[in-house]
Amino acid sequence: MFFRMIRGTLFRQWKKMLMIAFTIALGASLASAMLSVMLDVGDKVNQELKTYGANITVVPKENSVLSELYEVEDGGVSGAYLREDELGKIKTIFWAFNIVDFAPFVNVDCTLEDGTEVQCVGSWFDHHMDLPTGETLDAGVVSLRSWWELEEGQWLDEQLLSDSADAAMVGKDLAQKLDLKPGDTLRVSGPAADRELRVAGIYDAGGTEDMQIYLQLDTAQSLADLEGCVDRIEVSALTTPENELSERAAKDPSSLTVAQMETWTCTAYASSICYQIQQVITDSVAAPVRQVADSEGAILSKTQLLMILITILSLIGAALGICNLVTASVMERAQEIGLMKALGAQNLSIALLVLCEIAITAVFGGVGGFFAGFGFAQLIGHTVFGSAIEMRPMVVPIVAVLVVIVTLIGSIPAIKMLLGLRPTEVLHGR
Amino acid sequence: MKKRKMFIRMITASLMRRRSRMIVALLSIAIGATILSGLVSIYYDVPRQMGAQFRNYGANMIFTGEDGSLGLDEVIAGEKKIDPAELVGAAPYRYENVRINDIPVVAAGTDPQGVQKTSPYWRVEGSWFSGGGELLVGASVAESFRIKSGDVIDVSFTPAAQEDESGEEEFVMDNFKTFTVMGILQTGGSEENYIYMSLDDLRELTGTEGSIDVAELSVSAGQEELSAYIDAINSGVKGVHASLVKRVTASEATVLTKLQALVLLVTIVVLALTMICVATTMTAVVAERRKEIGLRKAIGASDKSIIQEFMGESMLLGLLGGALGSVLGYVFAQQVSINVFSSSISFRPVLVPVTVIASIAVTGISSLMPIRSATDVDPAMVLKGE
Repeated sequence: MFFRMIRGTLFRQWKKMLMIAFTIALGASLASAMLSVMLDVGDKVNQELKTYGANITVVPKENSVLSELYEVEDGGVSGAYLREDELGKIKTIFWAFNIVDFAPFVNVDCTLEDGTEVQCVGSWFDHHMDLPTGETLDAGVVSLRSWWELEEGQWLDEQLLSDSADAAMVGKDLAQKLDLKPGDTLRVSGPAADRELRVAGIYDAGGTEDMQIYLQLDTAQSLADLEGCVDRIEVSALTTPENELSERAAKDPSSLTVAQMETWTCTAYASSICYQIQQVITDSVAAPVRQVADSEGAILSKTQLLMILITILSLIGAALGICNLVTASVMERAQEIGLMKALGAQNLSIALLVLCEIAITAVFGGVGGFFAGFGFAQLIGHTVFGSAIEMRPMVVPIVAVLVVIVTLIGSIPAIKMLLGLRPTEVLHGR
Repeated sequence: MKKRKMFIRMITASLMRRRSRMIVALLSIAIGATILSGLVSIYYDVPRQMGAQFRNYGANMIFTGEDGSLGLDEVIAGEKKIDPAELVGAAPYRYENVRINDIPVVAAGTDPQGVQKTSPYWRVEGSWFSGGGELLVGASVAESFRIKSGDVIDVSFTPAAQEDESGEEEFVMDNFKTFTVMGILQTGGSEENYIYMSLDDLRELTGTEGSIDVAELSVSAGQEELSAYIDAINSGVKGVHASLVKRVTASEATVLTKLQALVLLVTIVVLALTMICVATTMTAVVAERRKEIGLRKAIGASDKSIIQEFMGESMLLGLLGGALGSVLGYVFAQQVSINVFSSSISFRPVLVPVTVIASIAVTGISSLMPIRSATDVDPAMVLKGE
């Protein structure tokens, strides 16, 4: 009988029930869309902030001081420079997935034919690497310095081995001064060798790099006889904003307790990534670039907080909307309930009946709403960030609990009112 | 006249007598209006507030001298071209080669208050320097000279040798000045290789007036505005060459556009869903009064007068809800702004009529449909209960 009554309500009053389901679906979709976006916004904005370039720099521990002062026998290669063959190891640390991009740099002071002194920088452009883990990686200046603009010609293509060895990218100001065009050749003499270079392109960096020449790493190394040596590595990594713990750890990792150490190494703080890089690269010091790391932290936490507050507002809005409609639709049924009471129905069974009907509607509405909400989240993700928003399992229970609680709370005042009804009054029409 | 009085009486009476139902409806409209006005004010305020956050990346404009030298007066003249409300900070820098223990180091003379604003990411262990023989030492310098904050060190400067009448170089004594190290600077960049002191101290140490090498400015403005400032300064101020720090401005433009688009889309989605929620509530509220409509039709009311009355009623609700919502929305936006950006939001008077009109429109449209369907039906059918 109980089920027959419920089925009766659901089928015969389907219009009303559909409306309740629709409102619940709206509320649930709002909640799930906002929660998904909120939980993912940190990662997405973090990706966007990578346009600011590297946030970690790695330099040799002993600057060339040692070899210069004491003229160490073996040429001072170890200690003064980082080793090129170790570069791939950066992608093998625990936080490898957080490392988006990195590039080595080697600076060589050269002179041109007319006596002008220029700095040649050897680096990767679109370097392709096969890692020991079996993965591949494309990294280099083109993506690391996303704000550089190509003025003329084209980017040096490392994949085309035939023409890349003697190709050079020239800074805008230097090109203007020397009146260089793509295709021109220029002769540079480094400390160890002279080379004829072909201008592949001219870039506008909007900084001191506009007076430099960028070369392939091995070309620059051959100019100064620095085969296999790297001055500096710049790393662009996705990091978590720093806090008190990470600052303490960065100063002295040994001051932490075991539990704190675990938290620190298992969180992608810039300082813990630096620490791990130092462990894989021989004699290196990795330090966060404060300008980028600090600002990223500030912007990231502000955006997240903003999204959390907007989410809370829309959750409250969704909850009250559902509450209202449930109350309104239950109260509407005063007459029906009055009749049931007159026929001798007990308060408990009436309450159960109403709750059951609403619960079934809520399940349908909630499930539908959840998927709609996920769709909205994807819409936002694709339009704004051009990538999908990740589906987080934790959104499901949150939305489910929210819908259940909200519909229950919405029906309580209405059920209370229904139970207090006097059948005669209701049936008589007030 | 009499008719209008009756109309108003009917509307107010219906609102007053069915108080609890009407409060429910009013509440839902007010929530919708709160979300509308709150989110829209946040949306308009985000670029300004976020822009201020992006100033953490440091200077986005630099002044250099046209012929290599730049005077303090010229820097100030250039600053004047920029709206003071948008100028976050400005710091002039003068670099000189000095010596500590006879080893050369680059010293920068600057304005500490300005630097704290243009380079908020500088991390100083110890305290900031001010004038009067106080020094901030870069971390690499501190490391190689074993300097701690609190140390007192002598800094020397060799003035350019001057030729006397006979053409021979006159021997000049080094200038000495004693400094107290206030703090050690960590930035992770080349700033760690310098020592910093106030412009006055550097002038005293070198004994010459000298010129500013570069001035860094942090301006909170959009890309176009910045370009306009650059043009205005380059053409309007003599001796100053202004340029943008591309790394900061270009990246800021990309990220800020994305963030604004995010808030806009979120606002649209939330608004659309909330408005539909309000509409369904209003539909439910009106739909349950089919009987009343039937009764009124049965005793001879015209469709037009019924629609008028019901619409008047729901529009009044919309008006009240909209007014309440615009106040609550402002309060919400203010709270968000204080909590997230720790600054207050400006009140936008335009939003009040917009919110009120939007809520009146939503309630009006959403109640029109059920009223129409109720008036279309034969009163006898409605009263009978089907």
